Amino acid sequence: MKNGPLLFLGLFAALGLAWAGIVLGANAQLSGLVPYYDTGDSQAYPLGMPGQAAHGQLVYRGLECAACHSQAVRRPGFGADQARGWGERQSVARDYIYQPAVQLGEFRIGPDLANLGGRKPSAPDASDLYELLYTGRGAMPAYTFLFEDRKVLGQASALALSLTGHFRPAAGHEIVPTRDAQALVAYLLSLNSEYVYPEARPAPPPAAEKTGEAKK
Amino acid sequence: MITAPLPAAPAELSAVECTSRCPLLLLVGSGLIWLLLSGVLGLIAAVQLHSPTVLAGCRYLNYGHMQAMAETAFIYGWIGNLGLAITLWVLRQLSAEPLRAVGWTLVGASFWNLGVLLGLIGIAAGEATGIPLLQMPGAVQPLLLVAYGAIGVAGVLAWADRRREMMFASHWYAVAALFLFPWLFSAAQVMLVWAPVRGTLQAVVGGWFAQGLWTLWIAPLALAGAYYVAPRASGKLMPAYDSSALGFWALLFLGGWTGGRHLIGGPVPAWISTIAIVTTVMLLFHYIVVFLNLRVAYGAGGTALKFIGFGLAAYVAGGFIDALTSVRAVAEVTQFTFFDAAQHQLAVYGGASMLLIGALYFALPRITGKPWASAGLIRGHWALTVIGLVLLVIALAGAGWVQGTDLNNAAVSFAEIADHTRPWLLAATAAQAILLLASFLLTVNFIRSAMPECPWGREAS
Repeated sequence: MKNGPLLFLGLFAALGLAWAGIVLGANAQLSGLVPYYDTGDSQAYPLGMPGQAAHGQLVYRGLECAACHSQAVRRPGFGADQARGWGERQSVARDYIYQPAVQLGEFRIGPDLANLGGRKPSAPDASDLYELLYTGRGAMPAYTFLFEDRKVLGQASALALSLTGHFRPAAGHEIVPTRDAQALVAYLLSLNSEYVYPEARPAPPPAAEKTGEAKK
Repeated sequence: MITAPLPAAPAELSAVECTSRCPLLLLVGSGLIWLLLSGVLGLIAAVQLHSPTVLAGCRYLNYGHMQAMAETAFIYGWIGNLGLAITLWVLRQLSAEPLRAVGWTLVGASFWNLGVLLGLIGIAAGEATGIPLLQMPGAVQPLLLVAYGAIGVAGVLAWADRRREMMFASHWYAVAALFLFPWLFSAAQVMLVWAPVRGTLQAVVGGWFAQGLWTLWIAPLALAGAYYVAPRASGKLMPAYDSSALGFWALLFLGGWTGGRHLIGGPVPAWISTIAIVTTVMLLFHYIVVFLNLRVAYGAGGTALKFIGFGLAAYVAGGFIDALTSVRAVAEVTQFTFFDAAQHQLAVYGGASMLLIGALYFALPRITGKPWASAGLIRGHWALTVIGLVLLVIALAGAGWVQGTDLNNAAVSFAEIADHTRPWLLAATAAQAILLLASFLLTVNFIRSAMPECPWGREAS
């Protein structure tokens, strides 16, 4: 190889082709995604993200929660996501169109959170999540800096955690979540992929397909 | 027809001139500081994995922050600095002229290091971007881009200064690394930080960037040094050199397409991961060619070739494991587990970093004009690095496999998974400690070999 400019052009072509193929190709397919309007519910899905939840996503990102938690349920039959109760269907691109900073994550040191707010039979509520964040559990450390231990002045806060055992605050004190914690929990509860889009319906198992053909 | 470069021309045995020496030593020295820092951060992160209460009460030092800072310090601090030093040195040797524009290199290197430092502080403060391998906050990324440009001027000038029109394999890889990083880095910045694309397209672009950073920057940096040093240190012609150009273009043209392999089964169009699987397997051609070319490193003896030999084996093994884990049936188990971390460490630490360290062992005496200060420290560094890396990769792979099979069995709770992976993670912690000690030995040896004679700063004007 002797030609310097040719090498330079080759380098540019190598990068440009991959960029055009992967990024532009995916963009052509995904940029047109719009919310799905369900005429039965008179409602468009996914639901928009409330402002507090959008702030919470930035808290989630800043704390690097994605180092341990993924947010992408795999399809039934590929892994045990469904059996673990993380979601009845796989996550699809439409679930994420309102998210300012998508947090798919690459590790599952903790459970997947893509459908935390819509888990069956019972999704956690805000007080469960506050308690988990304050006390920690198993491999999940306690994020006590997301809470304020303060003296009760007058009426106790409605958000104060009801803790037992050695987590119970000193007499006359209460543990209340900071604004960051409230936003984070609002975000986690907004993660809900219960609604089944047409593209997210599980493919019919082969047997059902055959009987369908036979009927025709 | 392409011919192999001649081994060891006599001119190379003398030290490089002082104007070239200072920027090179600054890059290597600051790289070593980041290597040590990344070792400390990686060790703490490894401890936090099996003892989650460690430093958990501190907003700035939780596991996610530690992990992101260790990765950033290693890639941008250590591989970036050392890789650029080796690449500039290779281009300088091939041109046989003193480096030009070294003032720019000194200024650029200073600002690059400042940028990495600010980036780590930003990650700790909770301003990280959350994108793998691009964690540094958006505010410092333009600084890094400009600093990189300033460092690269000397390399481009040295490439333009080459005496013979013919370019060798080390030339191609060096020039590719120099030019491709700014394009890739700025494109990713625009699409992910300044004007973020919408929805899961962010994950697609993030995967394209992360895999591109490996195949289009880190791997070429490492191979530029290895292709230059291996034939010279062994005194042998490179076998199968005719195919090296094909290996090079295979890496460049296929590498950028492999980004979707972490998105298998994810909420993105399925063709993205399918293309990634196909190109990851096709990329094996590149790894085979590199192995055939660089196998002169085996059996010749010498410190540089020992490290290059280990790095070559890890680099090739990393490529094959990458191909294996990109197959959907394997990814079903290994996806989202420590197995991916094991592959990353094998390729980046075992492969790229070891190839660069091998090149450093060959280059430093030719930069300073005197041999390494201590043979004992070299032996210690070699032994500890090999033990640490082998242990780290096996421990993480074991932890990943246990974790992956457990995750796919819904009856196993997360507490049980933590119990099952704990012995493996303890071994990984020990490996991180050994590697930190190894890096410390290398740093001490470097300081003793390089410091006294370098007139820091005198050349800056």
